[in-house]
Amino acid sequence: MQNNPKKQKKKRHSGQQIIIALFLLLWGCAIFIPFWNAIVISFMSKSQYNTHTAALIPYGFNIGNYEHLINAGGLLNSYLNTAIIVICGTACSLLFTTMLAYGFSKPFPGRKLFFSMMLFTMFFGGGMLPTYLNLKSLGLLGTRTAIILMFSLSGFHVIIMKNSFENSPREMEEAAKIDGANDLMIFLRVLLPLQSPMLAAIGLFTAVGYWNEWFWSSLVINKMELLPISVFLRNAVSSATTQINFGGVNFSSPENQKNVFTLGISMATLVFTMLPVMCVYPFLQKYFAKGVLTGAVKM
Amino acid sequence: MSKFSKPAVVKPIRHTSLWTRIKQSKYLYLIILPGMLQLIVFSYFPMTGIQLAFKKYNATHGIWGSTWVGLKNFRRIFITPAAVKAIINTLEISFSRIAIEFIPPIALAILLNEIPDGRFRKGLQTIYTFPHFLSWVIVAVVVKNFFTYSGGINELRIIFGLDRVNYLSSKDFFRPLLYFSDIWKESGWGTIIYLAAIAAVDPTLYEAAQIDGANRWQQTWHVTLPGIKEIIIINLILGIGGVMNAGFDQIFNLTNSSVTSVSQIIDTYVYDITFKATADYGFSTAVGLFKSVINMLLLFVANFAAKHMLGSGIFSR
Repeated sequence: MQNNPKKQKKKRHSGQQIIIALFLLLWGCAIFIPFWNAIVISFMSKSQYNTHTAALIPYGFNIGNYEHLINAGGLLNSYLNTAIIVICGTACSLLFTTMLAYGFSKPFPGRKLFFSMMLFTMFFGGGMLPTYLNLKSLGLLGTRTAIILMFSLSGFHVIIMKNSFENSPREMEEAAKIDGANDLMIFLRVLLPLQSPMLAAIGLFTAVGYWNEWFWSSLVINKMELLPISVFLRNAVSSATTQINFGGVNFSSPENQKNVFTLGISMATLVFTMLPVMCVYPFLQKYFAKGVLTGAVKM
Repeated sequence: MSKFSKPAVVKPIRHTSLWTRIKQSKYLYLIILPGMLQLIVFSYFPMTGIQLAFKKYNATHGIWGSTWVGLKNFRRIFITPAAVKAIINTLEISFSRIAIEFIPPIALAILLNEIPDGRFRKGLQTIYTFPHFLSWVIVAVVVKNFFTYSGGINELRIIFGLDRVNYLSSKDFFRPLLYFSDIWKESGWGTIIYLAAIAAVDPTLYEAAQIDGANRWQQTWHVTLPGIKEIIIINLILGIGGVMNAGFDQIFNLTNSSVTSVSQIIDTYVYDITFKATADYGFSTAVGLFKSVINMLLLFVANFAAKHMLGSGIFSR
């Protein structure tokens, strides 16, 4: 189909554009539907699910599964644990990253050596077992601190920040020096504020990384009270370790017991885990996109 | 020599000794200290554990006290069928991934580019990029639920008069499911870079093509694609750098015992053999080390190739 240049000048969309728009809409539905399916199931009762396993249209607003989940406990706690890990982790990460980046942006004896040390860790590591044994010998097994600290430095972020520091205007630094500021004040009051969009982007990426961390959390943390929500979800959906499975204890009120079903509970847990991300994400999306592009350009 | 052949500028003579320069930079050493400490404690300390790969681990003697056995653990890798299968699977899955999964983000970006920038396009992008921010723990639950025997996809099949298929425990369907769900999760994120690259293509090239009588699709093929060729190649090169990884998060959460023969990659294999009661720590460390070394070599190759293309590597400016 030929695109008539004259047509493009008018606001009218060509037939081609409409077809493309429809296709993109279809793909959008393809992304949306499986999530919708999970949400719908979480609001179903056992009998409703057994009759309508497709579960694409909500059949009511049954909160039995959610009741069960909340009564079983551990949910709020996991949220708290995740929040602690995310906040402390992001704070540590931003601290370490900016300090290293600033340091590396200035010439000093040994800079190349230390920088290479950091580079090396970006493509070689001890491996699963040595890392685990290291945490053990540090006495960090079973703690959230282990998770907070072990992921608190990303070489990529340091490199991006370093380039950013190097590109910041010299005049501001020199003006501050003339005014009598020492290195620390220059760093805190002049250079860091200049980097705030970069910091925001890196902070966001780091926070998301900590939020989604589940593997080492499941390996290192064994106390139920300290588990972050990612591991809570894993346990809730894996039949081997379900603590809220009603094979054992039943947490619902008697009337609720016959409405609740395992899949429903799993889906309710899923919704809880996704909820914070779903709420926050649309507002932060542009920062993420900006961060990716800046990072890519800087590389 | 005549005095006119000497340079007019006086060359500065370095008076500052090394020690003086170190003293001058003392605050800089201080400021990099916390970060370097983290590196040493959490990245370099574990590297000492690598010696396990060359030892026979004895719990009572610990890492340092166990006996050296040289390359025995590494030789064992190649005579253990499960380990060899894991290596083969890793390579098969990784290369298939690279070939299959690099296309959708490009296609999506090209299509999205045809839609004028506005609420509709931004809304679509928001939906597309959403799954990227969820971990595979979450997405695996959603995927498994949808593809299970009584799940959404099978219900759809019933409507079309087809039989139910057990996608999750089928060896034939597992890998396609892997690639498809990864595309589903990640291609939205991938379009960000490609959209930016497409926007950077010189508009006069399109005008020239239009004058020559090219329609929209021809313009895409002859102008857009060559214009973003570099980004595509960089992404492919970076993909090759990650071939040994093959997607642990995704596979770990999606796999089950019936499909292990096609899904077991090096990382899941190491996990399986490490955290068992009768684990041979020396052997599992050896497998991990083997993977790390090959990974490092591949990254060097990737970096070198990228440097060739861009003029700068992935790690340095």
